[in-house]
Amino acid sequence: MNEKEKPGTPDEALIRAALGGEEEAFRELMERYKNRAFHVALGITGDPDDALDVVQEAFVKAYYNLKEFRFGANFYTWFYRLLVNQAIDRWRKSSRSQTVPLDEKWLSEEVSPPESVMYPRTPEDLAQNRQLSGALTRAIADLSEYHRAVILLREVDGLAYEEIAEVLHCSVGTVMSRLHYARAKLKEALKGFREG
Amino acid sequence: MDCKKVNRMLQDEIDGRLPPSDAAEVRRHVESCGSCAAEAAAYRRVGEMLRLWTTSRAGEKAPQLDSLWTRVRAGIEERKQPSEPASWVRRWLWLPAGAALAVLVLLFYPSDVSRAPFHPSSFEVAVEDLESDTATVALVDKGDDLPRVIWIIENDKT
Repeated sequence: MNEKEKPGTPDEALIRAALGGEEEAFRELMERYKNRAFHVALGITGDPDDALDVVQEAFVKAYYNLKEFRFGANFYTWFYRLLVNQAIDRWRKSSRSQTVPLDEKWLSEEVSPPESVMYPRTPEDLAQNRQLSGALTRAIADLSEYHRAVILLREVDGLAYEEIAEVLHCSVGTVMSRLHYARAKLKEALKGFREG
Repeated sequence: MDCKKVNRMLQDEIDGRLPPSDAAEVRRHVESCGSCAAEAAAYRRVGEMLRLWTTSRAGEKAPQLDSLWTRVRAGIEERKQPSEPASWVRRWLWLPAGAALAVLVLLFYPSDVSRAPFHPSSFEVAVEDLESDTATVALVDKGDDLPRVIWIIENDKT
């Protein structure tokens, strides 16, 4: 069993069962990866509703393309490729249609000095902390879709450089340079906030 | 190892990409250097904040994520289109339309070819249409004289 898989039936067994027509097996695969997939889609699209659509579409696509899955490969890398492409497409369409790429309610209008704000410890704290969440949202929005994808796959999903390269169809060197750039940009954005 | 070099290697160290000896050297330097320790902490914080950010925002859609299967299932069903006719069937669909047209023309066209050309004094045009997947046929002059096919529109639907 791959380290990214949760305990239980291995992914490959579920895939074989799904290919044999067992819809419940596909459902279990979906349940296994839906939260992580949503986090990544959310990071790329910046909008929870878009992210939900993207995850749904990616799973539907995966269902119909499952026969193309190569056994021996990782399901999540294969699936993430569909997901990330879907998310990037969605984000580009949103950008073209001039909608706000990252949800405005998370962008604070306040301009008080960041020195007054502490780093949150929990997701709830961050939700309350409009200044920091706004700065973070803006900094993520300023990254290109590929930089966003790389840093989310690494920091949120914990994928290795090689896995990210496979998902994004690029070299490990490209992953490294994009990751370093994105991390440095976000680090700058968080500068000035202080430890709680 | 100096601060400049350590700074260049900090991200690789965080990601576990350094050879063990280099990683140990970077860690030793960070333990004894305040500014490099702050840099390392700032890089690590990026990941922490991103994780909090996505978890926090995902919470907004927790109920929808709980029932995601319903949406996915609906998407799967939606794509299950009724199977299209085979391409050879589609290719020959024009035949019935063509045959119908031919019958129509034969029925209404006068057999006496020697009569004078038809010059109707007034048109009483009615449009009838026969529609198939391949063509639309429109007619007809239904004046006092013999009804005639006056126009045929082919849509070339295939």
